[in-house]
Amino acid sequence: MIQVQDLSKSFGKIKAVNHVSFSALDGQITGLLGPNGAGKSTVLRMLYTLFKPDEGTAQVDGYDVSRFPLEVKKRIGVLADARGIYPRLTARENIRYYGRLHGVEKGALEKQIDLLIRLLDMQSIADRKAAGFSTGEKLKVAIARTLVHNPQNVLLDEPTNGLDVISTRAMRRLILRLKEEGKCILLTSHIMQEVAALCDHLVIISQGNITASGTADELRQLTGQSDLEDAFVAALGMKEEWG
Amino acid sequence: MIRKILVVTQKEILDHLRDYRTALTTLLWGLFVISLIGGMAMLLGTNLREQIEKPFTLRVAGMENAPNLLSFLEQQNIIIEPAPPDPKAAVSTGDIPVVLIIPPEYSEDFSSGKTAAVQLVYDSTRTSAAVDKTRVEDLLEGYDRYIGLLRLSVRGVSPEVIHVVQIENVDTATPQSKALLFFSTLPYLIIAVIFSGAASLITDATAGERERESLEPLLINPLPRGWFAIGKMLAAIPFIVLNLLITLSAFVMLFRVLPLGEIIGVRIGFDAGALAIILLLCLPVVLLASAVQTLVASFTKTVKEANTHLPYIALLVSLPGALIPFLPVKPALWMMLTPILGQQVLMNQILRSEPISAMNVIIASLGTILLSIIFTFIAVKFYESERILSR
Repeated sequence: MIQVQDLSKSFGKIKAVNHVSFSALDGQITGLLGPNGAGKSTVLRMLYTLFKPDEGTAQVDGYDVSRFPLEVKKRIGVLADARGIYPRLTARENIRYYGRLHGVEKGALEKQIDLLIRLLDMQSIADRKAAGFSTGEKLKVAIARTLVHNPQNVLLDEPTNGLDVISTRAMRRLILRLKEEGKCILLTSHIMQEVAALCDHLVIISQGNITASGTADELRQLTGQSDLEDAFVAALGMKEEWG
Repeated sequence: MIRKILVVTQKEILDHLRDYRTALTTLLWGLFVISLIGGMAMLLGTNLREQIEKPFTLRVAGMENAPNLLSFLEQQNIIIEPAPPDPKAAVSTGDIPVVLIIPPEYSEDFSSGKTAAVQLVYDSTRTSAAVDKTRVEDLLEGYDRYIGLLRLSVRGVSPEVIHVVQIENVDTATPQSKALLFFSTLPYLIIAVIFSGAASLITDATAGERERESLEPLLINPLPRGWFAIGKMLAAIPFIVLNLLITLSAFVMLFRVLPLGEIIGVRIGFDAGALAIILLLCLPVVLLASAVQTLVASFTKTVKEANTHLPYIALLVSLPGALIPFLPVKPALWMMLTPILGQQVLMNQILRSEPISAMNVIIASLGTILLSIIFTFIAVKFYESERILSR
């Protein structure tokens, strides 16, 4: 479970995140939705402890991100915006590296790696060096290493960004499967349709501020728009122009 | 927790070994430089010896004017041959190193007891001619003294009358210190090897990690962020040590295999023992190299940028070694306190077969280790800051 209260972060004079509060519950998929540069990634970066909040607090399973970063990091699996893998290592070695950094015991680690390789249907690339992997194949490796320590909280930054239709569907199935396992999933996106079908709870963020939150239906009602995209734009409270 | 640092170290080592072409090139670099120095030493040594021992052919113009002088020279193992028509041109084109010109009036001056002039034609900008010129000069002076003494004796004057001062040369240079010409490059070379031995690994593990966008996900793993810096530094150490070992062994082998001692004319006191001491002496420098390069490369954003910065460091730190010939012979405290310079001075002493003071070794080592710790600390702080993620 993830709780965010009054979180703020500035870079120089730019206020990237402005008093943001929301919760993401276990067994639910929470979508953090907003246009490019709205502050989604900055919120996630504070949650996974790479940035320190200027104000406010955030907790993962009750652990404060500023005071107990290691405890937080043990409890989260993150697919960050940057998802580079090591081209000279095989897919399996890439995944194993993260498992060992999490201190997963050897026997359990190899079992979990095998499980993920089957789950993500990557048997054919498992023992190949990652140099030359396609975008989809690289993403599979990145997802597998995110889940290698079987985290309770999963943070996914634009998980379908740059994927083709087939891979996008596979990604959705995986996210739903994680939900069935009772995990707390927080994902960001800038595409309303994509998350509406997937998410139990939506948090709309614009220019560092939360402008609306609720289920897709609640957002439709709130904005009085029947079309999801219209509702999204209305919820952003912005004019339609190049951002 | 220490085990997790080693997980980082292991991964970087495996990753670097997979890049076997880079790894191999780095290792061969030391061997290449050593063979270069060996080749140069061979060439220089052979040159010197050949020029001294080879029967020497002297071109003479005006041979008929001084038969006595020429037969004296022939007794000294000199082959006399007539000079070409234009001696000066032949010398300046480099066809002939030295020409002796005996003018027609020589014979008359000689017979009448006057000082008789001869000319030596040579080109002072040709190093190879210098040995020949000196040799001819020495022989001519010998003849000059020999005839002079004869003339004095004939007149009933003791030769001691003209010997006011007798110079006796007492050279304190040991055979080893004469060979130092070839060794003086070693401290400089060793530092250069230490600073290039793992530069590619360090660049890839720091700037490369940023460039391929794998740094951010890596830092989300549950260990203090600064520890990643330490793990990466540790990964560089075995490669630097291995490279150092290869270079030092190659140097020892060079002096075993090639008859350099014979060529230079001295015995060389550089054995496995000296090698081991130099290796130990260099270990703190290895730490320093790993720390300072990791720190600098961490600040760079791309591999390309790192590759332009690191060579400057290698050059900067090995330069003090080039100053050693100009420094006072006795190692001073400030030298020992200057990391790298201290080790270079001590290495120089070992190669000169001088006793080295344990105190100096300890001071130099502690100073270098302290500086390494400072650099490591800065790198750890940098990894903990948010700036490491700025693109």
